[in-house]
Formats: sequence, structure tokens, C-alpha cells
Amino acid sequence: MSRTSKPLITIENISKSYGGVQALSKVCLNILPGEVHGLCGENGAGKSTLIKCLAGVVSPETGTITVDGKPLSHGDIHATEAAGIAVIHQESTAFLDLDLVENLFVGREIKKYGWLNRRAMERQALAVMHRLDVTLDLHTPLREFSIAQRQMVEMARACLRDCRLLIMDEPTASLSARETKTLLGLVKQLRESGVSVLYVSHRLEEIAELCDRVTVFRDGRLVATTPIDQLDRNQLIGQMVGREINALTRREEHAGQTDEVRASITGLYSRGSFSDISFEVRAGEILGIGGLVGAGRSEVARAIFGADRYDQGEIKIDGASLKKGSIQAAIEAGIAMVPEDRQHQGLILPMSVSENLSLTILTEITRHRLIHHGHETAQVQHLMRRLAVKAANAKMEAASLSGGNQQKVVLGKWLAIKPKFLILDEPTRGVDVAAKAEIHRLIRELTEAGMATLIMTSDLPELLTLSDRIQVMCEGRIAGQLDGATATEEQVMRLAFPRSEAQLT
Amino acid sequence: MKKFAYEFFLLGLICVVLAIAAFLDPLFLSSDVQIELSSEIWELGLLTLGMTLIIITAGIDLSVGSAMGLCSVSLGLCMHANLPTGVCVLACLATGLAAGALNGSLVAFIKVHPLLVTLATYGMYRGFAEGLQSATTNAPVDASEGIKALVTGNFPLIQILFTALTAWTAILLGRTATGRGLYAIGHNEEAARFSGIPIAKLKFWIYTYTGLLAGLAAISYSARRSATAEAGLVLELDVIAAVVIGGTSIYGGRGRIAGTLLGVLLIHETRQFVDWYWQRSELTLIVIGTLLILAVLGHRFLFAQDPDTH
Repeated sequence: MSRTSKPLITIENISKSYGGVQALSKVCLNILPGEVHGLCGENGAGKSTLIKCLAGVVSPETGTITVDGKPLSHGDIHATEAAGIAVIHQESTAFLDLDLVENLFVGREIKKYGWLNRRAMERQALAVMHRLDVTLDLHTPLREFSIAQRQMVEMARACLRDCRLLIMDEPTASLSARETKTLLGLVKQLRESGVSVLYVSHRLEEIAELCDRVTVFRDGRLVATTPIDQLDRNQLIGQMVGREINALTRREEHAGQTDEVRASITGLYSRGSFSDISFEVRAGEILGIGGLVGAGRSEVARAIFGADRYDQGEIKIDGASLKKGSIQAAIEAGIAMVPEDRQHQGLILPMSVSENLSLTILTEITRHRLIHHGHETAQVQHLMRRLAVKAANAKMEAASLSGGNQQKVVLGKWLAIKPKFLILDEPTRGVDVAAKAEIHRLIRELTEAGMATLIMTSDLPELLTLSDRIQVMCEGRIAGQLDGATATEEQVMRLAFPRSEAQLT
Repeated sequence: MKKFAYEFFLLGLICVVLAIAAFLDPLFLSSDVQIELSSEIWELGLLTLGMTLIIITAGIDLSVGSAMGLCSVSLGLCMHANLPTGVCVLACLATGLAAGALNGSLVAFIKVHPLLVTLATYGMYRGFAEGLQSATTNAPVDASEGIKALVTGNFPLIQILFTALTAWTAILLGRTATGRGLYAIGHNEEAARFSGIPIAKLKFWIYTYTGLLAGLAAISYSARRSATAEAGLVLELDVIAAVVIGGTSIYGGRGRIAGTLLGVLLIHETRQFVDWYWQRSELTLIVIGTLLILAVLGHRFLFAQDPDTH
């Protein structure tokens, strides 16, 4: 493959603004044939807007996009498709009840005399899977596939359509380490077959492993496009945030940690989800729970918070037994939870930032049965300052914030109740580097001030740097405990994989 | 003022309807006729208060008209037995409360979809009403003087209550924790639950409140006409139309009492004029149905958000 060849895609001077906010400003970029091109930047830096322009969902105000020297008409999805540009979104857009073949050919079925030609479709499906070197059953409905497998299907679909540029928007955000590895392999496979890939990710390790060149965006501007071998991790982060930030350091001493047991969970069991879950969290301590996606961590978090019922076991907060399956009782007892899915469980997107922040303290800001606007504004302003939420004003819809700022709002609404025990389920998924650092700082600060914290995360560096103690879950059980100060990624992963598989690796 | 843009649009629409009416028959706008016809507005108005709350939570209550019929029959039975006015009123309201509470329990605690629950009780309540009537009085019961006085007397309790309840519901929605909770449920029930909003309690409460309003509406109807199983027949069309035309989103999360009141006014004037001018009730149904669709389309074209910004 010739890296010196003419660019496949040339983007020149693309600008786009939304209601006065410049989302993209005079961006110039080219993508070579057969190149994996990384796209990095904090949330809100302009990556999504660029993708939307390329995909023809949004039309830029100025500039041109050319494919093989031919200009692409703006805001025309069909023209984009015809030019061979395909997008794989973070959340799969597949039809879960249709099988693999039907999914691959949806909208462009092969027909013979007006009837579906199933045999021809199966033949092509097999050919494309062979090309990608994956084996998936053709007749299984997609519902039974894992998220990683569904993404493979999406990639196969893109290949079927003679795709020349595949845009992948954080494809590994909800994949486990092992699934990620497979997916990365698949991307490399695609590159070998001459397809260009525009790869958006917050995970710098992936970018380093996969990409030929990286382009960094900040505040709607292109900062730099650099070949990956001329860039190290800290430089990359530096480009993204515009300043060198110190990589996270581990908690050296257990500052503020006490012997006072805040939360004690004994023998928690829920049929089909988890069993034998027992642990204690002390005031001033961060207990991290690691494990693969699907190990049952979220289920445990939900059970403690009262969102789900459980069959056996007991939860005690400050020695008092907690009522089963009642979120209100949990909140009353001082438990707060930042849930896994901020768009559906954490936030009410169409409501304002202010309404979201005050949702947990409605009784506190009520005077004479009415919500007191003065108190509400004061509380909201205080929270927004404390969390450094970047929003034009508190009346903005939560939906209009970037992912990192949305997550700060979720954290803020729970800090408002001054929790004794905070549960965080994947608190920084899809959050940019700067917001992540900010969230970590807050978690530490609050814990040092006497809160007990339970954090479930798939992000290994996060687990290792934040936790005082680490427990690893595997297939619904606690597989082992590690000391946060000395644990390594390898130790966590060894516990996270089921026994039979661990022997293979 | 941008916040109330849709309310102004409705006000304009009402003016258009009135202008057409005045053009066809100027007499319609005379105060005598308007006052005479206004007696019809109270039942519609009362029921829309509860319906607004329900639709804001992305629910629906199809049974309001039937519940009103059942309340009217129980009021008729009490009047037929010559019970004191107070007892009659209490029996009627208790029937409404019970009907609403049944809807509420099924929706809130058993978690059945409100469309199914209230479609079932829509049939059941009307059936009970007709059965009860044919098993006892077998005919509409004329309102006692005491009941009539509540609506047409010097101290029209129903009208006063309607005004008070409107103000109370508007404040509840706009200024209280309960109101915030209702909007939150309508936008995203899961996130509301994760925020500790007492979802079941609030849902149970709004359906029960709507049942109570059906009881009040039954008193108003029975006083003006007679206590009968026919009370509130196809009224749910007007009620839901008024609320949706008033700007409450059928998908939940959006809506205000001010809009609902304008919706009520629009439906009321349209219905009364069509009834009065052409004197054909089937035409009214067609006109109200058309109005509902036009209003929804108008809302979409005039107030649709730029899809680019999402």
C-alpha cells in the first residue's frame, strides 16, 4: 500500500456553527487510502460535527470535501453513501430481531424474480466475513450477539457496500478489553484490504496501537495532524487540553481513611446476576470493583441503590439495615449513585441543567410548599461552580452539553444531597481527558472529607489510580481482592477472566 | 415572551374561530348567547385539569367520560332515594375517587400501560353506569333543587371550585416539587426513578385526582340536565383534544395549564358554534377531530426545533 499516494478524502476550510457557537472553524484535513486516521479531542472539540459533515448529516457553512478529487455535495446522505463513506456509530443501529444475513442486506436485498434470493445473500455474507476473518453464525438473530459482535456485523455491512472510508465513533466505549482487542484486529484487517478508517476514541492506548496518523481537535479547531511515531502519550494529551497535564498519580497515602464502616454488604444474592457478594466500605475509603463487562458489577450497584430487588443478603448503612428495592429509602439513608447510562438513567436530557441539578433536593429548596427560586438558583450556581460545569447558563438543556459536562451534572445532582456513600458506575465512560481529571479530583476530595465511595469501572488505569482497595468480579462473584497501592493491570485481568480462559492466555 | 409563543398562537386561533362565527352569524358573539352556552364549559374544563397532569407524565385517561357517567348514576340513585344534598354529593365524589383510584392502582402499582387500563375501564364504567341505571331507576333522574343550586344558584359552587382548582393545579405544576416530578416522569421515567422521584405515588395520585374531577363534572352535568348513564358520552374526545391542542405533548414532559385553558376555550367555542349554527352533532365530532389534527400539525410546523441542533 502506498502511503505517498494521493489522498482519498480532502477536507478544505470546513466551518460550521450552531447558534453562535463555532463548532468547526476552517478545518483542513486529508485522509490517505488505506490509512487508519485517529481523531482525538475533548468532548465538544468538534469531532462529532466533523463526522456529521463527512456523513452528510450536517452541511457545513463553508469549505469543500472532495473524494478522489470529486467534490461531495454537502448535507446529502445519499451522495456520501455513493462515494463509499460509511459510519459506525457508538450505539449499534442494527435490527435485533433479524438475523445476521438480513441485517447485512437490509435495504439492499438481493432479489430474483422479485423474491429474496437468500442463497446469494448468504454467499456474499460468507465472502465478506472471510475477508474480515471473523466467524459468526448467519442465522442467529442479532439480539443474541454481544455488543462487540454486533459491531463486527456493522463493519461487515460497511464492507459489503464497497466502503472506502469507514468512520468509527468510539467503537470500543462499551467493550471489554478482550473484545476491544478483537475489534482492533478487525480494523487492521480492513486497513490491509485498502479501506481507510477514521477512528475516534478517547482511549489513547488504542490510538497508539492502531493509527497511522492522529489529528487532534480543540475548541472547533484542528490543532495538529501528526504521524503516530512522532508523538508520545503526554504530547497527545497536551495537544488535546492545550496544556501539559500531569498524568494521574496513585493515591499514595490513604488520606482521610478511617476505621468507621459506612456500608456493609453481606451475602448479597440475586438469581442469575450475582451471588456471595460481601464487602465493607469505610468512611474516607474508595473501594474499586473491576471486572469484565457483564461480570455483574452494575447489577450489584443497582441492587445496593434499590433500583433492583435482590433475593438474599443484607445491606447496612452506618449499622442500620436498608430496605430492599427502594431508591427513596436508599437516598434517605445517604446513598447516591451515578448510574452507568447517563443519557437514560443519569439525566433528563430535555430538562435544563438547573432542573436536573435540583431534582434530588426538591424538598430542601421548597418553602411553604413552593419551590423557592432563590434557593434553587443559589444551590445550582454553587454546584456548577464547584464542578466547573461548562454551560452558557443554567437554563440550557442538559442535552446540549458535551458528554463530560453532562457527567459533571449527574455527579453534581448527587453531591447536592451530601451523600454518605457514593456509588459510581462507569463514571468517566465517554468523558474527555480534562473532565475526567476533574471528576477524579472531586471523587478524591469528597472521599477524603469522609464519604465512602464505591466505584465500578472497566477503565483499568482509573481503577488502579483511584482505588484504596480493589475487588474484582467475575461471572457474578467476587474473584479476589487487591491492594490499590500495589495492584497491576495484569493482576486485575487475571482475576477478571473466568478460570478456563485464564489458562489460555 | 418567547416562552408563551404557543399560547399566543392559540389566542390567535380562537380569534379566527370567533371571527368566522361572527361573519356567519353575528348573534353568536352576543353576550346573551355566550352566557347561555357557557354552562357547557365547566365539565370540559374540570376534566382537562386532571388530563393535563396525566398527559404530562406521558399517560392517558380514556375513561374520564365513562367515570363521569357512573358518578352521575350514583348521584341519581341518591337523589332518587331523597337523601340529603350533602350525602348525594359525597356519594358522587366517592364514586369518582374510586374509579380514579382503580385506574391509578393499575397504572402505578401493577404497571399496566395507561392506554390499556383506561380503555378497559372506559368500557367497564359505562357498562356499570348503564346496568346500574336500568336495574334501578331505569330512567334519568331529574336533579334535586339542592343539586341544581350548586351549579345555577347564587353561589355556584362548581364554578367557584373550578376556578380554585385551576389556580391550584397551575401552581402545583409550575411551582412545586410534585410538578417538577411529573415533568421529570414524562420526559424520562427511568432517570426520574433514579433521582428518587416517587413515581408510583405521583401516578396513583393524578389518576385519582382525575376521578374526583369526573365526580365534580358529573354534578355539574346532572344539575344542568339530569342524572343519567349518558353523562360524559364521547367527552374524552373533547378533553384530550383540548389538552393536546393546548400544547401538552402526548409524549410527555411538556404542557401548561394556561395552554390547556386556551385549548378548552377553543374547543368550547368551536363546538358551541357548530352545534348552534348547523345544529348537527355529527358535524361537531368531525370539526373537533379536524381541529385536533390541524393543531398538532400547526404546532409541528411553527414550533419544531431545528433538528440540526440535536
